[in-house]
Amino acid sequence: MCGIAGFALPIAPSPDERAAFAARLRRMVASLRHRGPDALNGLVLPGIALGHARLSIVDPAGGHQPMRDAGTGVTLVFNGEIFNHPELREALAPGYRFRTASDTEVLLAAFLEHGIDCVDELNGQFAFAIHDPRDGSLWLGRDRFGKLPLFYVHDRDCFAFASEAKALFAGDVVRPRLDARALFETLHLWGPSEARSAFDGVRSLPPGCVARVRGGELTIRRYWELDLADERIDHGLTLDRAADEVEELLEDAVRLRLRADVPVAAYLSGGLDSSLLCAIAQDQLGGTLQTFSVAFAHERYDERAFQAGVAAALETEHHSIAVEAPDIGALLPQVVEHAEATLLRTAPAPLLKLSGLVRDHGTKVVLTGEGADEVFLGYDLFKETRIRQFWARRPESSVRPLLFGRLYPYLDVSRQSPQLLRQFFGIGLDEPGALDFSHRVRWTNSGRIARFLSPAFREHLEGWDPVAELLGSLPARIREWRPLARAQFLEIRTLLSQYLLSSQGDRMLMASSVEGRFPFLDHRLAELSARLPDSFKLGGLKEKLVLRRIARGRVPAQVTARTKFPYRAPIAEALTGPRAPTWARELLGRDAVDSLGIFDGSKVERFLARLAARAQAPSDADDMVLAAVASTQLLAHRFLGEREIPRAQADSVKVCFA
Amino acid sequence: MNVSSNIRSFISETFFVDDFADEDSFLQTGIIDSTGMMELVAFLEQSFEIKITDAELIPDNLDSLANLCRFVERKRSEAA
Repeated sequence: MCGIAGFALPIAPSPDERAAFAARLRRMVASLRHRGPDALNGLVLPGIALGHARLSIVDPAGGHQPMRDAGTGVTLVFNGEIFNHPELREALAPGYRFRTASDTEVLLAAFLEHGIDCVDELNGQFAFAIHDPRDGSLWLGRDRFGKLPLFYVHDRDCFAFASEAKALFAGDVVRPRLDARALFETLHLWGPSEARSAFDGVRSLPPGCVARVRGGELTIRRYWELDLADERIDHGLTLDRAADEVEELLEDAVRLRLRADVPVAAYLSGGLDSSLLCAIAQDQLGGTLQTFSVAFAHERYDERAFQAGVAAALETEHHSIAVEAPDIGALLPQVVEHAEATLLRTAPAPLLKLSGLVRDHGTKVVLTGEGADEVFLGYDLFKETRIRQFWARRPESSVRPLLFGRLYPYLDVSRQSPQLLRQFFGIGLDEPGALDFSHRVRWTNSGRIARFLSPAFREHLEGWDPVAELLGSLPARIREWRPLARAQFLEIRTLLSQYLLSSQGDRMLMASSVEGRFPFLDHRLAELSARLPDSFKLGGLKEKLVLRRIARGRVPAQVTARTKFPYRAPIAEALTGPRAPTWARELLGRDAVDSLGIFDGSKVERFLARLAARAQAPSDADDMVLAAVASTQLLAHRFLGEREIPRAQADSVKVCFA
Repeated sequence: MNVSSNIRSFISETFFVDDFADEDSFLQTGIIDSTGMMELVAFLEQSFEIKITDAELIPDNLDSLANLCRFVERKRSEAA
């Protein structure tokens, strides 16, 4: 995996301008060095500057970027992997003479053959930019689920793009300012909407989209989106048949993702998904798999016993790293530096430490189980939706809402009076057909953080409703879908790319120059899952039924019998109290909060005093407030001030002219 | 300070809400989360010197400022 950056420039710049553009490109690429320390290169062409920070995984000797086709002048920079590159290469070989064994050249050849529609042929994770001098177009593309990031700035006199926003700041393309709407969205939906970043003017190319910039005009087209329409369901399938098909495809998804010229390892959480992946990978590798896990000191979060059990049963070479609350406090500044986002959770922090462990073992690529919960309905949210739907059919029932007690045994909620529990989970029960029925409880809950915003900041947002905006942006056809399908779509649209694959995925991996690969997010598997009846995924209140069936006999029984254990990390314990890091004491102080002006310093002060005075553990809601304020303060502290790219770093980027 | 403004200021101070209507459901509008309800009950017991049984932990008694005031007044008159 790698980092990319670039910008449009005049067709015939003066020599002085050319030198200035080259210097800008050097700073941009240098700021992405963590993503690809193996080679830092740039190319300044008439009309475009393209830069690339390379992490060598496929064809380390060839595959240098930017890559240019001599005949047409088509030039590309590419971050990611095309897993089906050998098959594509074979298909393209009659019309193109390959010079390297890289997947980058396959993308180039595919573009020359099919134009931008080549994205339909790709099975992979990618973000790319292709400059086509024949018609003066710059094309951008991003993989179907948005596994890899791609940001851009577009205004009257400039177009620039980069894997991370920091490169756009390093290139002085745009001045860093926090985007009020993105922050407000994050406080409700856990991440900004798909086209926004945390920064004003810095846009994100949504997952499954391609963009074309030509003559200053930008057009965006979505080439893929998961279709969960009821008509797609194959009612003739039996659970056994479905399990066979899923297993076969999952095996293939893993096989494709073990393709690399360097060893591929795996993350092992101790849950069903990662254990199953590890089992499949270990079989395919013939016993050489290395596994990596986070071990929490606190038992509320810890899954060590399961990890060790799976590693022993599969005979992997297992490594784990212990994480305690103070580690999380110490890591959070770095987490925010890489995530470039406000966070409602500290869960990314242990993953940053984990990727560091992987790198320290000399490994560059890991498989992870990310996506299985979205594709095969693993989350409690889907169960909650099912219970609420069931309950909405008989709202007066006193028995139906009791199912919530079974659903959330680990949340404080289950210790409350059943009547109050009902009231809480009954939000929106009178509108079972509403588009956001599934997410209303969650979003009402997280939206509570917004009351900590300062009055001045809130004023900008008066009358603007992030949930309404999101719902308005959804394709109309999903209204026809069944409630679980709508829930699944919303979960993928809001949380997957904008939080899980970024703050908890790509950014924490790339911080240590480690590439993640996600077999459950092979689009063929997602499309197959759309054909399965819901009951094969969520059977009653038993999640991921079909995966459990496949896992039976392949992973230890204690894992297949387990219910989903949400991956979480301590928050209040990490950021407050006697062991709180110095930065937290400083940045969460009343004056520091007020001087940024986003949150209300006196409210934050009273909130912290209340947390400190209370004997019981902080609630989930309190934890979210704390994470949101702390990460936003860090975000502002890191990005809003001046920050120079050291000269020596910029100079290490080799820029050529053509 | 009367019952209503007493409870209102407790809620504003404790849950950081600036304004809400007397009839707003605490739980359905997200003013208070379910853990917060327990804090609220402890506050009521302490400041109004009443005892609240588990059976009384129902939305009709607790889930809006108006309901709370009615409930507290009733409990106090029962005690007197």
